[in-house]
Amino acid sequence: MSIPRGRLTLIVGAVVCALAVQAGLAAGLNLASQALTPYRTCVITATTAATTAVIDASVRQGSATSNFGTQTTNNVATQSGQNRRLYVRYDLSLCTPAIPATATVRLATIRMFATGLPTTCRTVDVFRVTATWTEAGITWNNQPFGTAINNPASGSASDTFDIGTPVGCQNVTVNAFIVGATVTSDVAAFVAGTATNFGWMLRDDVEGSASALTSTFSAKNLGTAAQAPQLVVTYVTVP
Amino acid sequence: MADGRRRILSSGPGMSSIRSVAVAALLTALGATTAFSASLAFGGGSLGMASTNTPRCTSAGLGLIQNLSGSNVISVTVNSLPSACGNATLQVTLNNLTTSSGGSATVPAAGGSVTVTLAAAVAMAATEEIDLVLTGP
Repeated sequence: MSIPRGRLTLIVGAVVCALAVQAGLAAGLNLASQALTPYRTCVITATTAATTAVIDASVRQGSATSNFGTQTTNNVATQSGQNRRLYVRYDLSLCTPAIPATATVRLATIRMFATGLPTTCRTVDVFRVTATWTEAGITWNNQPFGTAINNPASGSASDTFDIGTPVGCQNVTVNAFIVGATVTSDVAAFVAGTATNFGWMLRDDVEGSASALTSTFSAKNLGTAAQAPQLVVTYVTVP
Repeated sequence: MADGRRRILSSGPGMSSIRSVAVAALLTALGATTAFSASLAFGGGSLGMASTNTPRCTSAGLGLIQNLSGSNVISVTVNSLPSACGNATLQVTLNNLTTSSGGSATVPAAGGSVTVTLAAAVAMAATEEIDLVLTGP
């Protein structure tokens, strides 16, 4: 019995072709690539003084019905009857290109330029604001978090940082931007649309101290680019 | 018809042997295909219709500071870089919506921070976009 020569040639040819194709694929697909790590950052800066990209204002318990939205400095202070809080909001909708709702926010930090430090190391709490307010209208009495001191509870703060002149305090240098005000999860919620951006409120961790302990920060209305409040948001569009 | 059927199904010892060899060869070729495919290691990027994640030296949040001269950004400092990004090339592009500028620098072997000087100063604006791309190591 014999197999036709043509058929045998066809079979052998198919086998050879299959092996050749695989050898070729193996050689051609030997890929190697470098790591490629892309980040995108949106920086919102309170410049110029007239910008609406940032609004900021302090509220003062001792002047409970007055608005300080046009001041060139903002304060966080603890003192019985004279506590001060700082409200600030950065308009994330101005980021160009817009931060996609599906983006992963890697880091978001509030940067403020400290021009005055308390004489003891104080903890400042950063809270996400949950109701609207305006730069020209906010006062101690109508602030979103109400007039009760030490409210909201420290434990609900988005982040905290320490500031003061004693050696070893986290932010010990006057005339420098503070470090440590990280609000990554808040910004992620704003971007994802699960929370509304009303900004943040900063207050002393323990309001109502016997003596005044005050931190002073340059405000938008100072109009100095090098000291302007900033929000720096670093994100990736593909995790 | 019966004879024809027998010829096809039972062609005798010689034909059976050749057919077995052919089938075995084909199976070997297919086996090699599987083996080759299994051993192909893709480093990243995409090929044809398939794609895979590109490796990255970090997924951590990177701090960023703009360094000013007056009200112009002249360089950008990127910090919190892990050692896994050591020796990578960091490219920075800053866009203030009207102009853009960029530069690059090599990340220290131990990571940390690196300052990238922009080719041209860019006026600080209320909103800026800064792209960071780490290539390598």
